[in-house]
Amino acid sequence: MQEAAVSMRHISKSFGKKVIANKNVDLDIYHGEILSLLGENGSGKTTLMNMLSGVYFPDEGEILVNGEPVSITCPKDAFDLGIGMVHQHFKLIDVFTALENILLGLPKENDTKSGRAAVEEICRKYGFELDLDKKIYDMSVSEKETLEIVKTLYRGTEILILDEPTAVLTPQETDKLFAILKNMREDGKAVVIITHKLNEVMEISDRVTVLRKGENAGTVLTSQTNEQQLTEMMVGEKIVLDINRDFVEDKALRLEVKHMTVLNPDKKKVVDDISFDLYSGEVLGIAGISGSGQKELLEGIMGLQKCEEGSSVIYYSTAHGTHELVGLDTKQIIGYGLHLAFVPEDRLGMGLVGNMGITDNVLLKRYRKGSGPFLHKTLPRQTAEKIRNELEVVTPDLEYPVRRLSGGNVQKILVGREINNKPTVLMTAYAVRGLDINTSYTIYNILNEQKKKGVAVIYVGEDLDVLLALSDRIMVICEGRMTGMLDGRTATKEQLGYLMTKTGGAD
Amino acid sequence: MKKLFTSLTAMLMAVSLVGCSSNKPADNTPATAAATAEATAEAAASGEKIGIILVGDENEGYTYAHMLGIKNAAAKLGIAESDIIWKYSIGEDQKCYDAAVDLVENGATLVISNSYGHQSYMMQAAQEYPEVTFVADTGDNAWTTGLDNFKNAFTSVYESRYVSGVVAGLKIAELNEKGELKEENFNEEGNVKVGYVGAFPYAEVVSGYTAFYLGIKSVVENVTMYVEYTNSWFDLTAEATVGDDLMSQGCVIIGQHADSTGAPSQLQKNMEDNKYGFTAYSVGYNVSMLDVAPDVALTSASNVWEVFYEYAFNCWLNGENMKTDWTGGYNEGAVEITDLGSAVAEGTEERVNEVIAQIKSGELHVFDASTFTIGGETPTSIMGDIDADFTDDTECLIDGYFHESEFRSAPYFAARIDGIVEETE
Amino acid sequence: MEKKTTHKAPLFHIRKKDDTTLIQAILIRAVFVVLALLVSALFIFFVTKLDPVSVYTSMFKGAFGTARRTWITIRDTCLLLMISVALSPAFRMRFWNCGAEGQVLIGGLTTAALMIYFGSKIPTALLLLIMLAVSAAAGGIWALLPAVFKAKYDTNETLFTLMMNYLAIQLVEFFVDIWDKKQSHSVGIINMAGHGGWFPEVLGQQYTINIILVVIITVAVYVYMKYSKHGYEGAVVGESVATARYAGINVPSVIRRNVLLSGAIAGIAGFVEVAGISHTISKQTAGGRGFTAIIVCWLAKFNPFIMAIISLFLVFLDKGAAQIASDFGLNEFASDIITGILLFFILSAEFFINYSISRSEPVKEEH
Repeated sequence: MQEAAVSMRHISKSFGKKVIANKNVDLDIYHGEILSLLGENGSGKTTLMNMLSGVYFPDEGEILVNGEPVSITCPKDAFDLGIGMVHQHFKLIDVFTALENILLGLPKENDTKSGRAAVEEICRKYGFELDLDKKIYDMSVSEKETLEIVKTLYRGTEILILDEPTAVLTPQETDKLFAILKNMREDGKAVVIITHKLNEVMEISDRVTVLRKGENAGTVLTSQTNEQQLTEMMVGEKIVLDINRDFVEDKALRLEVKHMTVLNPDKKKVVDDISFDLYSGEVLGIAGISGSGQKELLEGIMGLQKCEEGSSVIYYSTAHGTHELVGLDTKQIIGYGLHLAFVPEDRLGMGLVGNMGITDNVLLKRYRKGSGPFLHKTLPRQTAEKIRNELEVVTPDLEYPVRRLSGGNVQKILVGREINNKPTVLMTAYAVRGLDINTSYTIYNILNEQKKKGVAVIYVGEDLDVLLALSDRIMVICEGRMTGMLDGRTATKEQLGYLMTKTGGAD
Repeated sequence: MKKLFTSLTAMLMAVSLVGCSSNKPADNTPATAAATAEATAEAAASGEKIGIILVGDENEGYTYAHMLGIKNAAAKLGIAESDIIWKYSIGEDQKCYDAAVDLVENGATLVISNSYGHQSYMMQAAQEYPEVTFVADTGDNAWTTGLDNFKNAFTSVYESRYVSGVVAGLKIAELNEKGELKEENFNEEGNVKVGYVGAFPYAEVVSGYTAFYLGIKSVVENVTMYVEYTNSWFDLTAEATVGDDLMSQGCVIIGQHADSTGAPSQLQKNMEDNKYGFTAYSVGYNVSMLDVAPDVALTSASNVWEVFYEYAFNCWLNGENMKTDWTGGYNEGAVEITDLGSAVAEGTEERVNEVIAQIKSGELHVFDASTFTIGGETPTSIMGDIDADFTDDTECLIDGYFHESEFRSAPYFAARIDGIVEETE
Repeated sequence: MEKKTTHKAPLFHIRKKDDTTLIQAILIRAVFVVLALLVSALFIFFVTKLDPVSVYTSMFKGAFGTARRTWITIRDTCLLLMISVALSPAFRMRFWNCGAEGQVLIGGLTTAALMIYFGSKIPTALLLLIMLAVSAAAGGIWALLPAVFKAKYDTNETLFTLMMNYLAIQLVEFFVDIWDKKQSHSVGIINMAGHGGWFPEVLGQQYTINIILVVIITVAVYVYMKYSKHGYEGAVVGESVATARYAGINVPSVIRRNVLLSGAIAGIAGFVEVAGISHTISKQTAGGRGFTAIIVCWLAKFNPFIMAIISLFLVFLDKGAAQIASDFGLNEFASDIITGILLFFILSAEFFINYSISRSEPVKEEH
């Protein structure tokens, strides 16, 4: 067998005493192959690769490049060894052009002219489409991703690491990226993609290394495995990947959204004339590329975004009567006792207060209750105790800052609080993003239970398979406009993918 | 940077001060020494102490001069170092009162502060501790308070300013004779331009620059003096800027009543760079400027605080009540001009000694009304604001001259005489 | 096979610790206090040629040597604590109020004005109440202005509040010139004769009222921030504006309210300084405490009881430094170095409570 391009031996890394990111990991990367590094969030994939790219230094173990032991103490060391990494958060300067970003920080001899020629050669060789004179702020995420890869290649990368490269791409853009990666493989480069999406692993990689809780859970050839096996390697136990979708006969109109339009601070329409109805006992899935107006749509309903004139959101409730929500602010919506529950995308940045414990977070939407200038905490404390027990939240105590808990526990607290108030409408945005598989299924089950109780549920999601398995109806939006409303039981992924990129709205 | 500057200057000042104080002869007669020794023993036995409140510390020239005066006086009188309690860097606020009371509680029966702004806090303490004597150096209201234990002290530095003016006047005369004065050194009336860096437009400063001007005028008749203020007692940068500005207007002599070496340093630098095509000469204050301006410093008017401290400590030792207002000039040896620079005109030393002798004998009065005019006329009356209530209350022009520092120690000559132009913003 | 010596692992590793127990934290602090005393003892012994023990004794005596010194230490601690407490409602909301200096000055200026114009006309008890209210209002308004601009135009409050300091200083200078009868650029002691508007002695002590005021305000602010609905709103806004809006909190109004409170307390501190301590006004009235308080507030992580300890420590160092200058003729640079060493080590202790440093293990080589 050929010599490994990179070998990691007995690598361990911990942060503090409690957080062990990697423990005794062995990993080999070969030239001319694509390796998937698979694992749930928090399994230590990114940390492991950050030790190759010079962001972190291992506590224990050694790294060999082409058989030679090396020490990588900073990103420059990594570059010198031909290791380049594209991080999830792009490191680009907004006001510079693509070419300027590529040449930034390099020695003088890389002048614009010879640099441009070299970059164009790279693009031609691997099939990148990149406008070198475009400013970063004019670029889409996919263009930025491309630029980041070109940037590392220009610096002589032989071993390319991509951290969750497809998280922000459409199915079509993903295909394009994969084609390029295959070109690079043909060219003899070593490619590592960090991911937690099983279908991508199956599609692109030659080998898969699975990390579980910081340890290497095994390496297999892609051709000799399947999704079920990989899942079990990731989770460490057999699990059933089925979402029970019941049909609720008894439906009542709960929300009537008409001609909703929301502008962003630049006066651009981010939600553009969207109308739909929402019924009790259904899960309405909302599909779309991230940033297509999902956030603004939900926030518009909650009174957190200003809706333009002509927008209307009518809330129907047997208990609280009928209300026009447009024109009300969040305080009024809460104050009227309207049971709109909202699980926002940014859990710690919007839904919860990171430095507060569960009790104080339960208090968040009801702190005004009770007379006098002081807080009344008795009831919230009971509720907090209930959420902790029922949803099996792992926390030292109810006052322990929630930001220190794992993502799954954080989401359980947030969802727990929102459903505790017996909502009429429950809106969720990316409710399982970053969660481990078990917690994800807990959340799906909660949503389904709520649906069966007659709650009208909105599920904004990014994993199309889940959307198709969970939703009764799926609304697709693209660039703020609704491009289709499909039946969740008959729709296909291809239909969704097509509608998600169909600019210009519905036919 | 500024701090570095300050400490450097302070070091220079320190060096020069040591130099001049060592010139002073010890004039202790055996009789007073014996009396003092006895009294010292008595004071020490009773555990009485002297408390000193200083606005700065040894790194600040003004305070250093006081420290030196105190140490010399104490050494001369045989007062042990342990009998003096020092409080350094006491701001002109409540801290002064706190320090004063703390000193009293630690046995001080004489408390002296060295900055004007300490005065009202010293007075507050004086009211509360009538058995302790409090002295606010450079203060001006002790005699108005009616407190028997609250005193002021101020040297008659206007006398040495007058003498330093004579030194400057001789230099102008020499330059004129040699034809070294340029067109820009004269104003439209044909008067030689002289500059003055003042701190604040207060009587203390007005009295000082008027004395300096009259000293010049006693040698050369045709001079006009331009005064600019820095609005700070100690500001290296501002003093350098103002000095440079005055020189750019053509001033050939630049005097000062501000505590830093900023102006003379600037003049020295201007000379070395030949910035304005002529050389302007400095007359400094407090300390000799020869270290920072060896070629352009003529001399500096300065105080010899040791004389006052010797008086005060003697009173303390002997249990005598001090004068409410102490002042001392050439006669007491409390003022002097520092060593003459190499740039002074020929015959300066002789003339200086002559003038000092005349001042001592009373033959010469600095503010002789016949030597200046106000509004074009020889004054017949000049009132002074002696009780410091912002209104002139006392006729001070008696027997043909203005009686400065006689009704109280702090200067009160605040009249603006002809030939001096104040440049205010 | 030739071994390349490319090993250049960093010598030390810094790791975040999150499991330090209270006892460990106290132990670490104790060790660093001892270290601080040892290192500065070396400085004292070798550079200043003095006996460290007597220098430390002198520092202690400077702060607590006599009953009066102890009172002054308490008085100054109270004032610093009060300004630190004043900052906490604003800081909790991440409104970086760097303008306490100016707010104290304005509170002091209005107090001084009332003392000068009404000191002999209004009975002191009533005048004190008026001064309390007016100084609080003045300090509050002084702080509110940047807050209004922040809430409305999203201006940078750090710069704005800093600039307000200069404005306050100039205003004080202006009035000092007006009230300065002697052309000395100093107001002197106001109402020295009648003590109009001065804090009266209570229980035979000059500073009883200062202490009572500070204790009341500190406890009140603590309770307000921790147990009231308003305090909860402030805490949420401080954590995340988006979360606050999600919870239906009117963010601009909470910012205005907390900053108003912050400025008002700073204004009252100015009142305490002028009417209760110095009885004068100058641009030095705040004396840099507005900035020191920022450090106190941060170090204490807004906990008023820790603020009290830190304030006491800083005041102690200040008094101690003055006393060693007095006793040994050391100038302020020498005493600054000693207090600097003490502070450095004590702050370092906080680092070692939160982080651990370990020697890197040498990278194993293949044989």
